[in-house]
Amino acid sequence: MQDFINEFTLNFIDDNRYRYIAEGFVNTLIISFFAVLVGIAIGFLVAIIRSNHDKTGHMKVADVICRIYLTVMRGTPTMLQLLIIYYVIFASVNVPKILVAVVAFGLNSGAYVAEIVRSGIMSVDEGQSEAGRSLGLNYRQTMQFIVLPQAFKNVLPALGNEFIVLLKETSISGYIGLTDLTHGGDIIRGITFSAFMPLIVVALIYLLLVTGLSWCVNKLERRLRVNER
Amino acid sequence: MSDKILLEVKDLKKDFGDHQVLRGISTKITQGEVVAIIGPSGCGKSTFLRSLNLLEVPTGGSVVFEGNEITAPGTDVDKVRQKIGMVFQQFNLFANLSIKDNITLAPVKLGLMSKEEAEKRAKELLERVGLPDKAESFPAMLSGGQKQRIAIARSLAMNPDVMLFDEPTSALDPEMVGEVLELMKELAADGMTMVVVTHEMGFAREVATRVIFIDEGVICEENTPQEFFANPKNQRLREFLSKVL
Repeated sequence: MQDFINEFTLNFIDDNRYRYIAEGFVNTLIISFFAVLVGIAIGFLVAIIRSNHDKTGHMKVADVICRIYLTVMRGTPTMLQLLIIYYVIFASVNVPKILVAVVAFGLNSGAYVAEIVRSGIMSVDEGQSEAGRSLGLNYRQTMQFIVLPQAFKNVLPALGNEFIVLLKETSISGYIGLTDLTHGGDIIRGITFSAFMPLIVVALIYLLLVTGLSWCVNKLERRLRVNER
Repeated sequence: MSDKILLEVKDLKKDFGDHQVLRGISTKITQGEVVAIIGPSGCGKSTFLRSLNLLEVPTGGSVVFEGNEITAPGTDVDKVRQKIGMVFQQFNLFANLSIKDNITLAPVKLGLMSKEEAEKRAKELLERVGLPDKAESFPAMLSGGQKQRIAIARSLAMNPDVMLFDEPTSALDPEMVGEVLELMKELAADGMTMVVVTHEMGFAREVATRVIFIDEGVICEENTPQEFFANPKNQRLREFLSKVL
């Protein structure tokens, strides 16, 4: 027991080393939160363009751009995307690393969100949008008030899953020298040469975060399902 | 019944690829008419009905609604559809909205009524279709017959000049067909212009002012219900009637 306390003190209390974890924790939260927002925005946009194109044949150019985006984002490792955005695209400009991470993870997540949302739009019966259009609502109104709310509800479990993946994926932020939660723990390991304590604590924090996130998504899911018997 | 022509269809054609579904249909529908359209399945009667509000875009011919050719390029289709109600076989109530919101959504979002007006109108319509206590329910909680009556109320909320019914009772359990037909009868009696694709020969006989038989994409026979059922002239119609009556 004394060993455990000594280990804990060495890794977190001495020299206020807990601050690496705290800083990493905050950064991980910031990156995840804003990347999710960026991902949702891009995802919905791409999904709407793609399903509009599939249905009407309009927006050919936009559809091609979306397809290229999806292919690249889903076809290359996230870590490489992060490195390329930091070392190549933003190489000559001085942007905060945290912004780079938000852009990289947001762009990456957007591709997955797009396909999830597109499957959601396809899952809504064609009759729903025909009924909307037959009343005189235009395409946008029909999407906004009828199709997308139902699509969102249908894909909420898949979206929740994507956000969990995204949260954990931010653990590669250390590769651009950003102190996220994982990197924070790793810095402590480098100083104290003890692996168990910092790594396990970091893992437990991720576990807690993911559990909390799942709980929120479940709660939202149940709330949206009250209208169905 | 006035002589005002609401809908005029001229040589309407529709093909899906190589498959010609409509091969030149022409007819006029005057105000106050109740036109029943019957025919074997796959004959094009639903496609014809859906062409009237351009849910299907015809590949040839034209549709004129209240004097305007709506098949002409540049037509504001959404505007036209506000005046043409449609009731579907599968009801298609908006699953994410309460019954009240199903009825008020279009009039409010299209700026035709204020929220208060629309809700008042929804209440009246729910009374009319006999479901005044369902305003706060959701579609999933209703029976098929109730859903279809709500769908009719939703259509009526737009104060349409004509209503299209696409096999409105075909997806219903037999014991619920009556309540929907009864409501449609009342609408007809109130002077609503209706075009009804149906398999209910009883309805066509009793309520329709004209019956049209479509087969293989053309109108084979149209007549008053009395003549239509008593003296069918077309050979295919006679075969069809002998199977369904």
